[in-house]
Amino acid sequence: VQRAPLKRVLLVEDDPDVRLVAALALTDLGGLTVEVCGSAREALEVGPGFGPDMILLDVMMPDMDGVAAFHAMRAHAALHATPVVFMTARAQPHEVARYRALGSLGVVTKPFEPETLADTLRGLWRDGG
Amino acid sequence: MKAPLKVLASEYAAALKDYLERGGEAPLFRAYQIGRDAVREGLGVLEVAAVHQESLVSELLGRLAPQGSQPIAARAAEFLAEALAPFEANRRGSLEVNTLLRDINSELEQRVGKALRDYQAAEDMLAEQRRLEALKDDFVSMVSHELRTPLTSIHGALGLLESKFGAALPEDARRLVDVARRNSQRLARLVDNVLDLQRMESGALAFDVKELCLQPLLQSAVETNQPYAARLGVGLRLDAVPDVHVVADSDRLIQVVTNLVSNAAKYSPAGETVVVSAERTLTHARVRVTDSGPGIPENFRPRVFERFAQADGSTTRRADGSGLGLSISKAIVERLGGTIGFDTCLTGTTFYFDLPLAAAPAEAPPCNERR
Repeated sequence: VQRAPLKRVLLVEDDPDVRLVAALALTDLGGLTVEVCGSAREALEVGPGFGPDMILLDVMMPDMDGVAAFHAMRAHAALHATPVVFMTARAQPHEVARYRALGSLGVVTKPFEPETLADTLRGLWRDGG
Repeated sequence: MKAPLKVLASEYAAALKDYLERGGEAPLFRAYQIGRDAVREGLGVLEVAAVHQESLVSELLGRLAPQGSQPIAARAAEFLAEALAPFEANRRGSLEVNTLLRDINSELEQRVGKALRDYQAAEDMLAEQRRLEALKDDFVSMVSHELRTPLTSIHGALGLLESKFGAALPEDARRLVDVARRNSQRLARLVDNVLDLQRMESGALAFDVKELCLQPLLQSAVETNQPYAARLGVGLRLDAVPDVHVVADSDRLIQVVTNLVSNAAKYSPAGETVVVSAERTLTHARVRVTDSGPGIPENFRPRVFERFAQADGSTTRRADGSGLGLSISKAIVERLGGTIGFDTCLTGTTFYFDLPLAAAPAEAPPCNERR
């Protein structure tokens, strides 16, 4: 089944500078439509209205971390089926396996290359369909 | 004789006298009860037995010797004493053994107590050590995360700057952006390496060990480093690899080969070629990475695998590594049960590592049937 191309990404990242860089990489260089959130709670509020194709979710965040946010999204009426990609500091293979086992599409490691970030997400989107 | 023993003796003697005079079970039972209570109150069985014996002897003496007949009483006492001597000796012996046992017992108790205390202390120390280790692990992970977050923004911002405005920037500015970008990459590698080393030391670095075919793995490492070598004007060649399987973690093994290959490229003069090759011995697979660089200075050779070690002098010209690559490679190879080493002379250096062959290579399908 051919999946519709990836267009809308909800970016959840607590660090404002990383948020800006990732958003610019995805929009200016990647041609995607992006909504940014500074916390998991904000994402849970804003996400349903934005209607993302995919959620790019930072793992280490204060208050509610990425994994907790992931579970909250899976239980959320409007977001439960939206694919999630985690974004984290270089993870060990078994940690990546754990994020995958949770049901995420994959993991993007930091620091990422801004030129290829959108393509990475498109690749995960295609393979994860 | 202690007071309770004295009371016991007189009560016991009375019961015995009763029995000898009137017979019947009641006085016998009373004597039994007196003895039993005494034992319950903590008197030794042997002491009670002694009371019994003394009461019996003195009562029998009283009966055998008529009133006022001193000589007969004396003789009877002598006779009884003689007859009872072995028993007496036995009793004394038992008492001595008893005392000895008690001493040994209390000494044992002291020693066991001390051993237990020592054990507890050692265990406390170990727990404290583990706590400190865990603290260190947490600290390193936190630092690595804290470093990586600003690095992500710096690296990303520079990448965006280069991509979006690179063409519009004056030549000098472009070069400066390039310097900043390469160094942010280097810093990121350094953080990764520090984290890897720390995880390796604490045993927290998970190894996904499988039977692997060497050829595709070396191929992948060489391909990954091709662009880097090309930038330095250095060629990279993989010689024919024998069909050989090793037991290893493929990511970690690629990390080792990548370290060796990028090092070799770094120290090779432009126009030269770095050669990766492999051979099979009876028990091991040996991978070699050979450069045609200036060789490792003699005084640096013993420190090659030390952390943050880099040769001084002109050879650092193109060295932009973290100084951790070789110590990480050594740690990985050793964790996989192998050894790492090098041969060097003025015209080049070969780094090599040996890994044990997979246990039953016959059962594994040939390399070309995999992948």
